[in-house]
Amino acid sequence: MGCGATKSNELQAALLIQRWYRQYVARLEMRRRCTWHIFQSIEYAGEQDQIKLYNFFGYLMDHFTPANSERNLISHIFRENEICRDIEWERYFCYKNIEVPELYSGPHLSFPLTVSNVADLVEAFKNKQQLHTRYVLQLLLESWKLLRMLPNINQVSTCQTKEITICGDLHGHLEDLLLVFYKNGMPSVEKSYVFNGDFVDRGKDSIEILLILFAFMLLYPNNVHLNRGNHEDYIVNLRYGFTKEVLGKYRLHGKKILKLLQKIFSWLPLATVIDQKVLILHGGISDTTDLNIIAQADRHKVKSTSFLLIVDMLWSDPMPQDGCIPNEVRGGGCYWGPDVTEKVLRRHNLQLLIRSHECKQEGYEFCHNRKVLTIFSASNYYEVGSNRGAYIRLGPDLVPHFIQYQANRSTRELTLRQSVGETERSALRALREQLFAHKSDLLYAFQDYDTDNTGWISLKHWATAVEAVLRLGLPWRVLRSQLVTTTQDGMLDYQGWLRELPITEPKTESLLETMYKQRSNLETIFRIIDSDHSGLISFEEFRQTWKLLSSHLKMEISDEAILDMAVSIDFNKDGSIDINEFMEAFRLVDRTMNLPSEPNHTKTDE
Amino acid sequence: MAPKKDVKKPEPAKPAAPAKPAAAPAPAPAPEPAPAPKAPAVDLSAVKLEFTPDQLDDYKEAFGLFDRVGDNKVAYNQVADIMRALGQNPTNKDVAKILGNPTPEAMANTRVDFEGFLPMLQTVVNNPQKGTYEDYVEGLRVFDKEGNGTVMGAELRIVLCTLGEKMSEAEVDALMQGQEDENGCINYEAFVKHIMSV
Repeated sequence: MGCGATKSNELQAALLIQRWYRQYVARLEMRRRCTWHIFQSIEYAGEQDQIKLYNFFGYLMDHFTPANSERNLISHIFRENEICRDIEWERYFCYKNIEVPELYSGPHLSFPLTVSNVADLVEAFKNKQQLHTRYVLQLLLESWKLLRMLPNINQVSTCQTKEITICGDLHGHLEDLLLVFYKNGMPSVEKSYVFNGDFVDRGKDSIEILLILFAFMLLYPNNVHLNRGNHEDYIVNLRYGFTKEVLGKYRLHGKKILKLLQKIFSWLPLATVIDQKVLILHGGISDTTDLNIIAQADRHKVKSTSFLLIVDMLWSDPMPQDGCIPNEVRGGGCYWGPDVTEKVLRRHNLQLLIRSHECKQEGYEFCHNRKVLTIFSASNYYEVGSNRGAYIRLGPDLVPHFIQYQANRSTRELTLRQSVGETERSALRALREQLFAHKSDLLYAFQDYDTDNTGWISLKHWATAVEAVLRLGLPWRVLRSQLVTTTQDGMLDYQGWLRELPITEPKTESLLETMYKQRSNLETIFRIIDSDHSGLISFEEFRQTWKLLSSHLKMEISDEAILDMAVSIDFNKDGSIDINEFMEAFRLVDRTMNLPSEPNHTKTDE
Repeated sequence: MAPKKDVKKPEPAKPAAPAKPAAAPAPAPAPEPAPAPKAPAVDLSAVKLEFTPDQLDDYKEAFGLFDRVGDNKVAYNQVADIMRALGQNPTNKDVAKILGNPTPEAMANTRVDFEGFLPMLQTVVNNPQKGTYEDYVEGLRVFDKEGNGTVMGAELRIVLCTLGEKMSEAEVDALMQGQEDENGCINYEAFVKHIMSV
């Protein structure tokens, strides 16, 4: 074998492998984008439901003339909105009677807080300890007192501290916050921080994050600034896990803590402005955003006159096209374009808008000619390996510098393929749930295309029908190979496919399906009704809830049908329903539809 | 990025612009070494599209996934990846030729819409370079010095980083992750089976 031939063989071999590798990576990248799309669509569709629920309650407030029994239920639901005088609140949350037992091994706090108090707190949480209720209430009370005095818009200057660090959504990911502190240093008079909302929900350490942020805010009130996010909202918390987390960790006083937090969230400032040039807020803006009007608003009042302006600030997303249109995907706020950015920045003589609210694969992303910057600080948000987190450092030159990171939940190293695969499996599971929940509608849509009643439709029609029903804006053709396993000559037996979706065939199919689709809403409503957070509601309340929801959904459901369902789900203990048991019934349906191999990476568990 | 369903209707498809050759090359200071004379840039307007409507729908969806800006176009430097995602296997050089050998700046800033992309894809489809399992195994067998079914990971790394369309260290690490045994050897038949199952 001559030298030349060997070299040429090696070159050919190298080219072959390199070409193969690049194809492999490109195909993985496409799968990753699909998966991302799926999670994002489902996440935003869930938020849309949430806003629909808000609107539902608003509608009830305005229009409902309930019969006697239902009137009680509605006033039940709206009891949260009572306006109490501050003194009454302070008395209600009195922590003084709560004793800290000798055996308590967690951190002890004294007020006013000291540096070592807060350092102890962070250390304790790092070691998975829990702060005693007494200190929690005390800490929250002090935080509330401080927040009440803050303006709607914090004004911050870089001349006091040379650099300011800005963090985006944390969503209960304590390991990410600790990683940021490790890389960047903890807040101090030398080191200012802005936390841009969504501290809670989804992750499992929301309360710990909140306590740390409040503690630093109390310790360094001129250096630590918190902006409200759309998840700093008690109704959203009912659905996305924060309420459950607090009730689980603080069984005795969880309810009190939650009630106090409800107040506190409404007092969080809405935005921070740096050097009068950089605007930081959680969601975004709209074409009606006017900081002067917002500065005057009563931000803590539920139905303040600037309510819609505030919703825009917390829920909006940027879009590439000019204009400003309602954000129908999330159900609240708007989509705003580069022209609106230009207009609003010019109106207030600003040069940059920093916001969060959307997960980005690299932890940050510019848009609108680099006038809008999204920063997101929860790594592995959708799934292990899905994205990095990032934070911004801003000096007096107001040029953002980015630091990215990714917290590893476990020490195993995933190959690129494994991490894409896991995330993908998770996403597909969630997607199959959605398909199952819309089974009846899907069947109708398919039958529309199957004019000759053959039981078969083309894959093209399958994709169109599925999108028309689910409206998630997903690339169904690309996903097809993962969702549809048996086709013949490009045609699909749609009834067979629908049958394959769930494993169990429930008797009262459409009723269960509707409940399944609405289960998050149901759970939210239940938790609102269960205002003392006991986990139980009466059978009568359950029936009334269901009737309310069904009238809102414009569905006919007879009392017998509800009774039948209650019997078949089998929960008639003492005429009261254990909410968790009821929801568990749905989780059982989830599990039978799942692919094998837990571990379960859903965010609200634990 | 905002989902596309609630934005204004996309503009009507523009006819594909034929790829212009890159700006006339600067006069070479010395005569170039003699490779085959450069063929004129591929004339995309002459390419006949032979895709079925179903394929077109599939490709259009995939194309949309790579559009990060929302203008229904992708950058030149994404074209190779989209083709690979759709099952083709061009080298970077092949794609550059189809694009008219643009400068790095043009690669990043020039954007092409779906109709402009299709003739490019058809060109690649017409010149398949698909590898089979045997091809890849043979390719790796070149490095099997002892003829025992394994190659040295370290040697493979060097080759992939220095020859052909060079890979970066990070790319090679990703490729080889979990493949080397404790002696740093890779059983290449198993390797090829593994990588082909994506």
